Amino acid sequence: MDNEKLTRLQTISLALLRVLVGWHFLYEGLAKWLKPNWSASSFLQQSRGPLSGFYRWIASTPDVLAYVNLANIWGLILIGLALMLGCFTRTAGAAGLFLILLYYFCNPPFVGYFYSLPSEGNYLIVNKNLVEAAALLVILVMHAGRYYGLDRIIHKALRKSHGAPA
Amino acid sequence: MSKETDRDKDRQEQSAAKESGKGIGRRDVLQGLSSLPVLGLFGYAVKKQTDYENARPEARRRTSAPSSRPSDINVALLGAGDQGEVLLDAMLKIPGLRFRAICDIWTEYNLRKLVNRLKKYNFDANGYEDYREMLDKERDLDAVVIATPDFWHARQTVDCLQAGKHVYCEKEMSNTLEGARSMVLAARASGKLLQIGHQRRSNPRYLHCYERLLREAGLLGRIVTAHGQWNRSVKPDLGWPQRYAIPEERLKRYGFRSMHQFRNWRWYKGLGGGPIVDLGSHQIDIFNWFLEAKPRHVLASGGTDYYDPATHEWYDTVFAIYEYDTPAGKVRAFYKTQTTNGSQGYFEVFMGDQGTLVISESEAAYSGSIYREVSAPPWDDWVRKGYIAAPRIQEARAEEAGAVLDVRESVSPDEHRIPVELSDPYHKPHLENFFDAIRGTARLNCPAEVGYETAVTVLKVNEAVEAGSRLAFRPEDFEV
Repeated sequence: MDNEKLTRLQTISLALLRVLVGWHFLYEGLAKWLKPNWSASSFLQQSRGPLSGFYRWIASTPDVLAYVNLANIWGLILIGLALMLGCFTRTAGAAGLFLILLYYFCNPPFVGYFYSLPSEGNYLIVNKNLVEAAALLVILVMHAGRYYGLDRIIHKALRKSHGAPA
Repeated sequence: MSKETDRDKDRQEQSAAKESGKGIGRRDVLQGLSSLPVLGLFGYAVKKQTDYENARPEARRRTSAPSSRPSDINVALLGAGDQGEVLLDAMLKIPGLRFRAICDIWTEYNLRKLVNRLKKYNFDANGYEDYREMLDKERDLDAVVIATPDFWHARQTVDCLQAGKHVYCEKEMSNTLEGARSMVLAARASGKLLQIGHQRRSNPRYLHCYERLLREAGLLGRIVTAHGQWNRSVKPDLGWPQRYAIPEERLKRYGFRSMHQFRNWRWYKGLGGGPIVDLGSHQIDIFNWFLEAKPRHVLASGGTDYYDPATHEWYDTVFAIYEYDTPAGKVRAFYKTQTTNGSQGYFEVFMGDQGTLVISESEAAYSGSIYREVSAPPWDDWVRKGYIAAPRIQEARAEEAGAVLDVRESVSPDEHRIPVELSDPYHKPHLENFFDAIRGTARLNCPAEVGYETAVTVLKVNEAVEAGSRLAFRPEDFEV
């Protein structure tokens, strides 16, 4: 990949994508954190699709639910911060991808499912979660943190301390 | 230095650094930190958002400022039936009142019940059967709250005012216009306060809608129609424990033919006004208030369609259409009451060319919403000020209904909640307004003249049903 130089417009676009996705994650996490008594319970209870049994089990098991709520809030905040600043972007991208796919499969817009959750659009298989997941995949494979992000410094610093590969 | 040479130099610097595997260049640091300002922007946006979210509860708090520590007012309750009990329970939550007396002709039951209730609150109130005796003996009363059957209102109110008491009288002000007129005149002559019990006039949610949303913000634009309803389920006639029946002689002395008529007076001509007066009066009063006008015509249809006409002389079902000439133009207002099905409950709706207001005293059923027409100017400023909540986008649930959205259909407007709640009993703010006015710290929200206008407006419906034709109001009909 290093052999193919990206143009400045391409690197700026990648950085923009990373910052916007990060912004979304960070605010989703913060908003939940600031809301007293926020819980994923109702979202999980309304799960449809092949994995709904798993999601409903989480919702109906208070100990697990408490852990999931905490992991969700702090996962969103940390991933959002990392993506916005462009540090540890690949780890954050992978974690974000995992999280988003969890949301996606909680209420997948597959053919024939009836959704009780309010939505503002019309979706068939592809919804905004899946599009954001694809964006995270791009961020992950393109090392997007190295463009206009702290990873550029971290990467160099690590390479320097471990000895640069040829 | 040109941009091209600058870019080339940058690339050379990058590749050189990579190849050497050492050294973090100045450009690396600048580029690496270039996302940081976005974090500042994010923080600024979050701050703005949280400020906005906090503004709503603050706006709500502002609408219910607590009144200052009052001096005691000596109060008597005249009429200890269901409505009297509701008013007493609301008054018991108001500080600064001293309950001195209760009067009711059903001394064996209702009177005893409420006198005992007051004992629990450490008020040693005297019980009376005859209000004239009460006025004679309770010389230091400041105010009398009247919740007797409508046909007693005028005489009792006039006597209390003439005895120098301030009066809060339940609606309907009177079952006759002559009676209502005598009350207005007595209030003027005595210089005492007379508040009529249209309690929505003091409800903070209704006040917010009238003062802020309609008058200040003009959110509905030009109001063209209004409608309201009160649907109530079938109810059996009210009964009474036989051993507590009022002796016939006493019933007759106070204008009742029988114990059944005493308990169900609202259904009888000459005593009450039927559901259009008991229920409709509250909401038709809101038409007059919010439209800032009195109607010019009324058309009505009604009848005793379900119950036994022998015991339900007034109409169990009434539909009425009013025509108003407001300064902005003609407004048509439809009102319906039925007492055979409670579905959809009660509410009032005002529809202008820019928005729709749906409001009800029953917050549980209709919490109060305003809908913006898609063509209206944006309401963002009013959301920011906390006058209305942020919108809930209305979805066309075509697939649920199995319907197809037709090109002739309008796009559903966004719904904004009215961010003002009343956690007190419905009548408490109106009673508070009355007592504050006695102390001189407020003006009556529904003085005798306003109650009279509403009585003229509402009593005409029964007349229109009987006449079977469209009746006109003259401007002087509303004046005393």
